[in-house]
Amino acid sequence: MTAIHAEWTKLRTVPSPGLLLLTMIVVTVGFSILEDVVQKCPTSCSYDTPKLSLTGILAGQALVAVLAALMITSEYGSGMIRITLTAVPRRLTALAAKAIVLTGLVLAAGVFAAAWSLIAGRYILPGNGFTGAHGSELLSLSAGPTLRAAAGSVLYLALIGLFSLGLATAVRDSGASIALLIGLIYLVPLIVQLGVLDPRWERHLEQWSPMNAGMAIQATRDLRSLPIGPWPGLGVLALWAAGALLLGGLVLRLRDA
Amino acid sequence: MSTPTITPYRSAQRPGRDDFPHLLRAEWTKFRSVRGWWIAMIAAALLTALAVVAIASAANGKQNPGAHPTVAIGPGGEAVTDSFDFARQPMTGNGSITARVTSLADGELPGQGAGSSTRTAQPWAKAGIMIKASTTAGSAYAAVMVTPGHGVRMQWNFTHDLAGLPGTPSASSPRWLRLTRSGGTVTGYDSTDGTHWTQIGTAALAGLPSTAQAGLFAASPQYVLGAQGFANNNNQPFYDTRVTAHADHVSLVGARAGAAWTVGHIGFGTGPAQPANVNGVPPVTRHCGPNGHHCKGVASPPGFKFTAAGGRFTLSASGGDIAPYVADLDPLGTVLKGSAVGLLAVIALGALFITAEYRRGLIRTTFAASPRRGRVLAAKAIVIGSVTFVAGLVGTAIAMLIAERKLHSGGWVSSAYPIWSLTSAHGLQIVVGTAGLLAVAAILALSAGAVLRRGAGAITAVVGLLIVPVILGVILPQTAAVWVLRLTPAAAFGLQEGTPRYPQVMHACLPYNGCFPIAPWNGFAVACVWALAALGLAAYVLRRRDA
Repeated sequence: MTAIHAEWTKLRTVPSPGLLLLTMIVVTVGFSILEDVVQKCPTSCSYDTPKLSLTGILAGQALVAVLAALMITSEYGSGMIRITLTAVPRRLTALAAKAIVLTGLVLAAGVFAAAWSLIAGRYILPGNGFTGAHGSELLSLSAGPTLRAAAGSVLYLALIGLFSLGLATAVRDSGASIALLIGLIYLVPLIVQLGVLDPRWERHLEQWSPMNAGMAIQATRDLRSLPIGPWPGLGVLALWAAGALLLGGLVLRLRDA
Repeated sequence: MSTPTITPYRSAQRPGRDDFPHLLRAEWTKFRSVRGWWIAMIAAALLTALAVVAIASAANGKQNPGAHPTVAIGPGGEAVTDSFDFARQPMTGNGSITARVTSLADGELPGQGAGSSTRTAQPWAKAGIMIKASTTAGSAYAAVMVTPGHGVRMQWNFTHDLAGLPGTPSASSPRWLRLTRSGGTVTGYDSTDGTHWTQIGTAALAGLPSTAQAGLFAASPQYVLGAQGFANNNNQPFYDTRVTAHADHVSLVGARAGAAWTVGHIGFGTGPAQPANVNGVPPVTRHCGPNGHHCKGVASPPGFKFTAAGGRFTLSASGGDIAPYVADLDPLGTVLKGSAVGLLAVIALGALFITAEYRRGLIRTTFAASPRRGRVLAAKAIVIGSVTFVAGLVGTAIAMLIAERKLHSGGWVSSAYPIWSLTSAHGLQIVVGTAGLLAVAAILALSAGAVLRRGAGAITAVVGLLIVPVILGVILPQTAAVWVLRLTPAAAFGLQEGTPRYPQVMHACLPYNGCFPIAPWNGFAVACVWALAALGLAAYVLRRRDA
C-alpha cells in the first residue's frame, strides 16, 4: 500500500504525466470529432457509428504508451530506480505498484476521453445524415453494444498502458522502448490494411496483433464477419499485456538495476 | 641559491582548429565510437530489408484477384487497357486520315441510381482518329482525339500523351484532326479551320505493318469517384459514362477506293480477374456498306453506335479506354512500408545523437570546444543524415532486390506490377527516395531532440509527425486523409509507390490503397521543408537557452 502511495506521489509531483494524460484526452476527443465532422451519410449507410465516434482512441493510445514507458524508463535514465528499489526491495511489488497506479490513472482519463468522444458523436453525427431514417441510431450508452464499445475502449487504453509498462521495464531505455511500442502497436494494422497479404496471413495477424485484436471491442455491427469477437479480441490484448508484464518482471527480478 | 623555474605543461599535440571540417570529424568520431549506435544503424538497415522481405513473403497474390488482372500487353511489355470502338479501313503503305469533329458530349450513362441529376463527364473520354497496327488488343497505334476535359490530345502506344488545341469542339468552333503515316512514323496535326495545321507530335511505331488499320474511334472510361470511408461504406466507387461525337469531312488517303467501313469493338474489359469468363471475349464486328448502309447485323457491341450518312459520322460509345493499366493495389509500395521498422530505429538514433549529450553533460564540453552552436547542430545533422542515408540505401536496395522477386513468384504478374531494376528511373526513385526519407527522419529527430532535450519526447514527436499520419491516412475518410498526407512530412512516403501513375488515366487515389495525394518528389520536398524548419527552430533554441 505504501508502495502504491509512493508511486502516486512520484507521478503527482512532476508535471509531465498530467500533461501527457491531458494531451491524450485532447488528442482522442479531437480525432473523434474530426472523424465525426468529415464523415457523411447522404442516403442510407451502414457505418458503425459507436466505433466511428471512438476513432480518437487509435491516436490517444500512443500517448498512453509513452506515459507508461516513461514511468519506468525515466527512473532508469536518472538513476532514480536505485532509490526506488532501495525503498521497496521487493521488486515485483514495486512493479505491481506502478501497474496499479498507471491503471487507475489511465482508466480515469480514458473515461473522460471516451465519454467526450461519444457525446461529440451524439451531437455531430445526426447533422451529417446519421439519422434513424438512414439506418443509424442516435448514440446512447443505454444501448448494450455502445456501452460495451465505450467501456471496452477505456479498458483497451488501460491494457495498452500495462503492455507498455511491462515492455519498457524489460527494455529500460525510453527511446528504444517507445520506438518498439509504436512499432508493435501500429505497424501490423498498417500493413494489414493495405490489402496485399495472403488472406490467411491477414486473418491471423488481425486475430493476434495487439491493436487489431483489441480494437475489436469497438465493433457493434456485423460481429459475425469480424476476424475475432469483441471480448476475445480484448482478451488477446490482455494476454499481450500479461506477457509483457511477466517479461518485465523477470528482467527486473534477475538483472541488476 | 637559484630558484628552479617551473615550466608549465604543454601538450605535444597541436591545438585543434575550430573549423567546420574538424567539427564534422568530431561529430563523426562521437557517432563512430559508440558501439551501440553503429550496431543499431546496421541493424536498422538489415531490419528494414528483413521486414520488407518478410511482408513480401506473406503477400500472396495467388488468392488475390487484383494480383493477376485481365489485361492486354502493350508494345512496351506493360499492362494496358485496350478496349474501344473502332470504325476502320485497311490502309496500305503511306497515307493519312483527316476528320473534322463538330461536337463532343460525354456524361453519365443513365440508370445508375444517382438520382435525377446527371453526373459529370469523364475528362478523359475520347473520340477521334487512329492508325493502329492491327485489331489485336495491345498492338501499336497512334491517335489524335478530342476529350471533354483536356482538349485535343495526341496519344500513342498507350503511355505517350501530348496536348494539342485546348477546349471542346462545337459546330462554330470545330477541331480538325489529321494523322499521316510515313514508313514507321505517324505524325499528328490539329487545326481549327482545316487549312492551317499545327503539328502536335511524331510517334515512331516499331513493327507497324505495311497494311495498318485507319479509322474513327471512341471510348468512354468509367468515371472514378474514389471513395474511402470508415470501416465500411456503400458508396458506389465509379459510374459508367457515354461519349457521343459528330464528325464530317472524313478523308482517308491510302485506303482502297470505295472500301467499306468495318465497325467493331477492339479488345476486352480489363481489371481484376473476375470469376466469370471475362478473358478472351472475342471482338464483335459487323460489316457495313461504304456509307454505313446495308449493315448486316452480326451482334452489335453493347452501346456502340456508328452511323455514316451523307458524309456525317456519329460515334457513340460507352466504356473502354486506350491507356496504360493502373492497378488499384500497390503491393511493392505496401511491402516497402516494412521500412518503418528501420525508420523507428533511425528516429531513435537521431534523437539520441543529441539527447544523450544532454543526459551525460557532454553537451557542455561540446559547446566549450566549439562555441558556435548553430555550426555544431549543422555538423551533427550532416553526420547523422549521411550515415542514415548510406544505411538506408544499402537496406532498401537489398530489400527491393529480394522483395520484387518474392512478389513475382507469389503470384503478382510482372506486366501489371513491374520489377524495377535498381538503375531504372522508378527503381532509383524508390531506393534513393527511401534512403532520403530515412535521412530526413533522422534530422527531424535530431532537431526535436535539440529542442526537447529528452529522447522520449523527441521520438514521440517525430513518430507523431511521420508515422502516425500514414496510419491515419489508412483509417480516416478520404477528405481528411488526403489533407493529412499532404501537409505532414509523411507525404514523402509517396516515394515508395511501386506502380507508376499516368496523368491520362483517371485513377482513384485512395490512401487506403497506399496511394499518396501529391507527386512523390513534391512530397519529399514537404518533408524537407519540415526538417529545415525544425533545424532552424533547434538552432534558435540552442543559441537562446543555457546548455
